[in-house]
Amino acid sequence: MALSTHTTPSGFLLPSIHSAPPFFTEQPNQSTHAHLTEKWIHLILTYARHKRLFVLRVEDAEVPGGEWDEILRNERINRRILPQYLSSLMAIMVAKNLAVYEPSKQTRAVLLYWRLPEEWADVLHSWATATGQLNTILTFYEISDPPIQSPLSGIPIPLLRRAITILSRSNRAQIIGVADGEGVRFFVG
Amino acid sequence: MHRGVGLAAFDKEQLSQRFAELSSELSKTQVDNLQSQLTQFRTALSHFATTHRDSIRSDPAFRHAFQQMCSSIGVDPLAGPMKGGWWAEMLGMGDWQYELGVQIVDVCVSTRERNGGVIEMGELVRMVSKLRGVESGVITEEDVIRSIKTLQPLGAGYEVLDVGGGKKMVRSVVKELDADQAVILAEAQVEGGWIVEAILENRRGWTRERARAALENMLLRDGLCWLDSQDEHYGQVYWIPSAMRWDE
Repeated sequence: MALSTHTTPSGFLLPSIHSAPPFFTEQPNQSTHAHLTEKWIHLILTYARHKRLFVLRVEDAEVPGGEWDEILRNERINRRILPQYLSSLMAIMVAKNLAVYEPSKQTRAVLLYWRLPEEWADVLHSWATATGQLNTILTFYEISDPPIQSPLSGIPIPLLRRAITILSRSNRAQIIGVADGEGVRFFVG
Repeated sequence: MHRGVGLAAFDKEQLSQRFAELSSELSKTQVDNLQSQLTQFRTALSHFATTHRDSIRSDPAFRHAFQQMCSSIGVDPLAGPMKGGWWAEMLGMGDWQYELGVQIVDVCVSTRERNGGVIEMGELVRMVSKLRGVESGVITEEDVIRSIKTLQPLGAGYEVLDVGGGKKMVRSVVKELDADQAVILAEAQVEGGWIVEAILENRRGWTRERARAALENMLLRDGLCWLDSQDEHYGQVYWIPSAMRWDE
């Protein structure tokens, strides 16, 4: 019985370890646990990047039908990751700075850093420069939901705000209060 | 009387000296003989080495025959003070052997986290072959076993284990596999990687306690297996990565 890779309907290539039933159980042996946890985290972040998913919730392991089913469940072997394990994985990712609890002061949902805020800051500034939008005022909404698909499309506002804060430290952006929300102006960097 | 003793003593000395001369002369003849034989042998061997070196490296059947010949004339190609031995040096097998050894260690170390330091022979051969690529020639189980013998001085525990049913495992950690673990490995192989107490009780006549203790040790203490707690039939099932077939 060979364990092989598998391509999901959304075109994501699952590693062969995903076909192994024990992968979905939180391991009692410490070094095995560390080894498999590393695999899970890599899988989660890679999948998030593939589908541009920014948020992971414990609920995604509790209720089927969500956007994470292809990863958190394997129907072919009738296994799924249990909420307790997912919660523990989320805590580890937060500890490693690969995610943050968002909103803060709760532990049921995390914002995933499949791209670090520093990297998002660079992407954001490059986009503003390339689209000739330096020195103009943009609302957060215009950035996260532009008429034309951009590298920033769908970015959650908390993450956008973090990226802008990073840019402001090097004087490449400035947050501005606008009529009914927040806006930003980008500068040459 | 004194003089008699003196003369006798002189005679004895002369005699032993002559004996000494005679015995060293004999040895010298023998040594000369041996030397000339060795020179002849060495010449023949050089010729052999040049002619067949490539075949030995690339053709496992020829290599096997060569090794058989070596052992039948009582020569161990791996013996000797030089890396790989005298023969190895003649045939340039030193580098080949060394390279294979390094690749075996590479595979064992890189899979250790997953399988706890025990890997199935077939998988080891497969992965080393992949590392080498097609051009280097086919590697057989025999080659790997021979190479592992040379790794023993490393003191890192490299050893080939026979777990029955024609299956072999290679252990690369110092922790010894006890007899019960070897049995568990063999049974897990049969199922394709998983095992439960019931199998050991039914097929091997173990008590439940013995089976549980052995499996729990492998799981918790030695990190040699993984737990699956969602099995529909048994509830808790133990999976042994070194007995699982990985397609990567």
